[in-house]
Amino acid sequence: EDAAEESTVSAELIAARRRLIDEWNAWRAKVKRDLREEKGRRHQEQGHKKEKVE
Amino acid sequence: MRPILLQGHERSLTQVKYNAEGDLLFSASKDDTVNAWYSYNGERLGTYSGHNGTVWTLDVDYQTKFLVTGSADNLMKLWDVQTGQCLYTWEFLTAVKRVAFSEDGELIVCVTEQRAIAQGAIRVFKINRENGQDQDPEPISMFHPIGSKATLAAFGWDNNSIITGHESGKIAIFDTKTGEEIQTHEKAHHDSVTDLQLSPDRSYFITSSKDKSAKLHDSRTLAVLKTYTTETPLNSASIAPIRPYVLLGGGQDAMNVTTTSARQGKFETRFWHKIFEEEVGRVRGHFGPINTIAVHPDGRSYSSGGEDGFVRVHFFDESYFRARPYGELEPDD
Repeated sequence: EDAAEESTVSAELIAARRRLIDEWNAWRAKVKRDLREEKGRRHQEQGHKKEKVE
Repeated sequence: MRPILLQGHERSLTQVKYNAEGDLLFSASKDDTVNAWYSYNGERLGTYSGHNGTVWTLDVDYQTKFLVTGSADNLMKLWDVQTGQCLYTWEFLTAVKRVAFSEDGELIVCVTEQRAIAQGAIRVFKINRENGQDQDPEPISMFHPIGSKATLAAFGWDNNSIITGHESGKIAIFDTKTGEEIQTHEKAHHDSVTDLQLSPDRSYFITSSKDKSAKLHDSRTLAVLKTYTTETPLNSASIAPIRPYVLLGGGQDAMNVTTTSARQGKFETRFWHKIFEEEVGRVRGHFGPINTIAVHPDGRSYSSGGEDGFVRVHFFDESYFRARPYGELEPDD
């Protein structure tokens, strides 16, 4: 019985940790997408500036 | 592998920092000097002397061309990393508590202390990277955070935002040009914020506090992502690359604790799991509180600077990289 209870607890703990990892991965993926987009936009803006100067 | 002990400072360390490549480690101290060391063998490259007071802070730019230092002598100095020559000096009315380069090395943010004679100020300087000796004495912007004193600052998500840490436990984001407070979190910590270090992509950062905790925050919203609660006041916190850990350092001064003898030489760097918020290990060594921690940019070693005047460079052994204390549950990065 104890062993069964223990394994339920540990299954719950593993599930909780899995959620934390998924949450973190999802947040990181979003941030990296935003960073890429922003770098692309900055690059473009710099290109426009150069064109104007020329 | 045994840690390398860097001996050369005569008083406590205030900040240690690697350059972008990680071949050099810089250390600032209350002995008024900054040293540069080869990080792989601990040999000293040189000393930057010229300050007449505790050097509170330093930073080195992404090209390892310029070093900037801030001191209790009210000066901020720009140095040529290779020659050790002081290129330019800015003078203020109060001590310089924190300096930091922007990612592209074009800007420096500088925090000066609040005293009766002067308000605490955050200044941003545009750096002439072509001719280091030809600098503008005037900042491109200057602002005075109201309320709690700012003691820490760094460029955040991009050059347009500056993240600050305050004596009250507050953290905030200011607009670099206008000085407008964009975001604020008054009670990020319950006591003074002691360190602020960003992740490599600057999207999140870690703060340590005298309130015995460290926290991970979103660089754009200041939202608290993670909290690491210890049982000792913290002076420094650093985010490790490669492995999902954060490194915390601090410790009560011997004179402030009653059970000192048992703790001699046992001031520890604590390793916490970044995602699960659980302590996973400790490395002891210093004979006094740990004032500053930096992780090598390749994530294979780290350095700590102590109240004891020593810098210790630790190289992780294979078990550090192999260990999976939580099984195969690993974040992507």
